[in-house]
Amino acid sequence: MSEKRLAPFMEMAQKESCFRPGSTLCVDCMESIAFQNVGRATDNGIKTIYTMGTFCGEVSTLLWPTVVAWGRGDQEATQFEKSFSIIHNVFESASTVAEGIRDTADILLELGALKKPIQVVANSGDGGALVIGLRSLLHTIHRRSRVTVVVLINEFFANTGFQYAVTATPYSETSTTPPGDFIPGNLEEPMNHVGLALMAGAEFVAQVSPAFPKDFTEACERALSCSETAVIFVPSPCIAGWKFKEGRTIELAKLASETGLFPTFLKEKGKAGSLRHVSLDSKQRTPILRFLAPQRRFHHLVHEKNGEPAVVKGREKEVALIQDWANRNVQTLQRLTAWDVA
Amino acid sequence: MNPYGSIFPEVLDLEPLRKKHIPLYRRQERIQMDGNGAAAIASLQFWRAPIYAGFPITPSTKWLEMISTYINAGRFVVEENGRKVSAKRVKLLEAEHAVADYLVGAAAACRELIFMTATSSVGLDHMTETTRSLGASGLGNVVLINVYRATANYPLCIEGDPSDAFAHRDDGWIQVVCRGKQQIYDTLIQLPVVGMDPRVLIPTMPGYYGIKDSHRSEPFFVEPDSKIHEFQDSLIPWRCPLPGLIVGETAMGNCVTSAHFQGFKWEQKKRMDQVLSVLTASSKKFEEVFGRPGIVPFEAYFMEDRPPRVLVAMGPDAGTAYEVIRRRRKEGERLGLVVVRLLTPFPSSLLREALKSAGVIGVVNNAFHSERGHLTALVSEAVSGLPIQTTGFFAGLGGADISVRSWEKMIDLLSVLKPGESRFVHEGEVL
Repeated sequence: MSEKRLAPFMEMAQKESCFRPGSTLCVDCMESIAFQNVGRATDNGIKTIYTMGTFCGEVSTLLWPTVVAWGRGDQEATQFEKSFSIIHNVFESASTVAEGIRDTADILLELGALKKPIQVVANSGDGGALVIGLRSLLHTIHRRSRVTVVVLINEFFANTGFQYAVTATPYSETSTTPPGDFIPGNLEEPMNHVGLALMAGAEFVAQVSPAFPKDFTEACERALSCSETAVIFVPSPCIAGWKFKEGRTIELAKLASETGLFPTFLKEKGKAGSLRHVSLDSKQRTPILRFLAPQRRFHHLVHEKNGEPAVVKGREKEVALIQDWANRNVQTLQRLTAWDVA
Repeated sequence: MNPYGSIFPEVLDLEPLRKKHIPLYRRQERIQMDGNGAAAIASLQFWRAPIYAGFPITPSTKWLEMISTYINAGRFVVEENGRKVSAKRVKLLEAEHAVADYLVGAAAACRELIFMTATSSVGLDHMTETTRSLGASGLGNVVLINVYRATANYPLCIEGDPSDAFAHRDDGWIQVVCRGKQQIYDTLIQLPVVGMDPRVLIPTMPGYYGIKDSHRSEPFFVEPDSKIHEFQDSLIPWRCPLPGLIVGETAMGNCVTSAHFQGFKWEQKKRMDQVLSVLTASSKKFEEVFGRPGIVPFEAYFMEDRPPRVLVAMGPDAGTAYEVIRRRRKEGERLGLVVVRLLTPFPSSLLREALKSAGVIGVVNNAFHSERGHLTALVSEAVSGLPIQTTGFFAGLGGADISVRSWEKMIDLLSVLKPGESRFVHEGEVL
């Protein structure tokens, strides 16, 4: 990774994003905020190519002919460096497709056929990258391919109707883990996606939300300057699936970090990483009830009364187990800030 | 305004790649090698093929091993800014599905280059999600060598049974069947120019029978690389009219509603409809350059006198059929033989014309899934409405040899079986 200066936040805010108006993503969708910000970071004088898995972020932005919400500027690019291409292949292989583009550009550059460099960003949902596409993600990282992988985590297969995915918070409602008297929602703990990416050998791994703009900008810039694979996991509140009131996306994204369910994490290979926007002292940490209560996917566990969370009678055990998971998650990620491939 | 998006031609010039190609052969030579070797040699002779992607599966693996051996030995190393780099590379992926996905990225990145792999059987099945996407993608610069092997692992069989090729007829690729090493070598050289023709833009799937052709050696002629380049470059446009991801500004693989989906499929059909004429024209050019016939939709033997009984077959065992029919014609029987080469798009009209005077056709299927066999269904449809009886035979399944006795038996059965019947034949016996 180069030691170049990180762009000040204001400078970043004024860049031209490759994400355009017109998408059919929900109002309050975190994915569109992430696209807008990653899109700005890629306005760095290098031609950008995106690959897409199949997910909300693809079907809602790449609908031909009316809503192709991609491209830098209002007109076709007149400069190669500003130009932008995008390809969607299948559900689970955005990073492998990106690798094919990366290698082709590299050999053309090395043999003097291609005159200018390109950068490649692979975008997927958590279903596409961590469930059906885990093989693709880990092997691209393992091969040290110079691509930036962005994984938008909303904890389920949102595009097909909010079915369970491996990232789902314990006891959350998904359409395939509907809470009932016998089974109170999802019984599995999430997979440690940050640890997997690190252990597969990623040069840079971040888990960061655009709700923390400076951290998000920093992560994008650091990722794009890597010489090997960089992975950015973006916790993405989903208004349709999480079932919260309009205007609370950023608040929930912040709470996801502060409660320890999705703490902000940045780690570069060979250097100490950092956990941010979460207290390392579990007693000081924001209780998970604050995060659960505004979402109806946890309505079988917690209600919001007069703005305050109240545990449903008889569900104290499940809530305590989620809290325990959050505490252990912070401990694990804290250990990972100091963990490196030997 | 380009309807497909801007192109920045000044940033990509492939001439350095062409110039830096290190030829394998500088003159025509007669060499002896197996089918995988013949395919690998042809693949390595293309200046347009800088990356070969692969994942091992029997019986296709030797293609990948041979490519790797040449590249790792430094056969294509050139000096670039004082640094030694290989102008050709092998990419080893973690699964066949990943190979297909990788080829999508590579081929979409630069549409003027050729990206190749080889696979078989369940390997091709594992790629299916992406091979089906590729078939419709317009990425005619992908070549997948299908070394036929039985699919469906109950029971597992590694020998040449084209059930994999037939199972993937619906993937929307151009599929050509080869028999013999010269055909394999020649088909590999010719087929990319068909797929990459701007009127076609369909990926290609040359195929040959596992073990029988992939692993058995035979002499054949290899051509100088320069002549191959002359042939390919005369037919492949220097710049694809559609922008690649690198040189252009474009969006690929979009979502559409039903209002537009049919339009895309209509375009795909129109392109597929062009294959036969583009193939025929390129075969003419191939023969002019190399002095050997190019790919034909099917080979017709003993058909000049419009024989009333005809066998339709494919693959290396057709050679035995040829000998059996030649002998029986000497004894006075009017028999004909058609050997299918172009599997997709199936040359129905040409076949109908060739078979229109026949009374009985025996279609020999080397793969079984259901009913009377895929090839029988294709041939029956080609001659539908004509007063011709089609009979389905199953022989040589799992790559079993079809003996002289079996061919004799099938010919004898032509006069006995009722319309619509089918029979399994092995070693001269009806099973």
